[in-house]
Amino acid sequence: MAPETTERRMSGKMFGLALGGLVLANLLVGLFLSPRHVALQHTPIVQIPNFLAFLGVPGVWMPPQVTFTWIVMGILVLGSWAGTRSLRAVPGPMQNAAEVAIEAFHSLLDQMIGKGGRDYLPLVGTVGLFILTSNLMGQIPGFQAPTANWNTTVALGVTVYVLYNVFGIRKHGFLKYLKHFCGPVWWLAPIMFIIEFIGHLARPVSLSIRLFGNIFGEESVVAILLGLTWLVMPYLIFLVVMLPLSLFTAVVQTFVFIMLTMVYIAGAVEEGHGEEHH
Amino acid sequence: MEEQGPSALKELLRLSTIGVGLVAATAIGLALGYGLDWLLGTRPWLMLTFTVLGVVAGFLNLLRDVGMLKRRPW
Repeated sequence: MAPETTERRMSGKMFGLALGGLVLANLLVGLFLSPRHVALQHTPIVQIPNFLAFLGVPGVWMPPQVTFTWIVMGILVLGSWAGTRSLRAVPGPMQNAAEVAIEAFHSLLDQMIGKGGRDYLPLVGTVGLFILTSNLMGQIPGFQAPTANWNTTVALGVTVYVLYNVFGIRKHGFLKYLKHFCGPVWWLAPIMFIIEFIGHLARPVSLSIRLFGNIFGEESVVAILLGLTWLVMPYLIFLVVMLPLSLFTAVVQTFVFIMLTMVYIAGAVEEGHGEEHH
Repeated sequence: MEEQGPSALKELLRLSTIGVGLVAATAIGLALGYGLDWLLGTRPWLMLTFTVLGVVAGFLNLLRDVGMLKRRPW
């Protein structure tokens, strides 16, 4: 029991340290570096010149959501490389962190999808880690969350939509998968097909809008609060309320996204068609 | 049997996403109807029909998420 409680105390300390570090960073930037007029999309710290202008990308710089998507990709690739570099039976810190993440995803997949769940770890794990890192990156001063832009979240939603249908088709065959859409009685099939199609299309739309709305809305509330920096109260509200709330929402929105992904995959892939039958 | 179902927090988070689905399905029905109308030139009938179908689809998803479609005796 003793190592477990010390581990919990250590992780609580790490969390407090991280939160305190973020508060300190925001405090310093806010007191010394912030101009007295804050725009909603302030120029980010890292900008890449637009080398794809021949493809039709407008502007002098790459769009910020693209830049920060690449930064998130770099962080994830670096983290995975560091975690799997020299695998040992008694893991070092990076490998330990990677194992914790994999175990968390495995338990979620087993719970939501059941037996064949672990096959879908690449999609669910990648989407989950990408969204988590993107959301958390928005809290660092000077960085923007790529998920605060509708382009990124629609890309994620469409990917999940296409992939869960592909999983269903691959498991059941194309015609049998379409039969799922057709409802209980054969003479209702045409209209049930349209209704089910619309219902299925609602899924990527709701996924993308929910993620975009949460992260961008937080960002805009923080921008408004910081635009009043010459008053003390909004800044205290930002530090005490919005910063922890942003971190909490970042994790919760990740969780909701991957949970819904797993529910959709489970619905597309489940055996025993009579279980969820109208 | 270790099967206990997801925890209360997970169920709460899953249920909190149902409302947006209703709105999204209606909006998609409207958008599909508007698009088909623009293609086939039959304003406004297809738009109205598909909006109604979108509302129906939204409610179907709602009932399915709440678990009312699993119980046989209606």
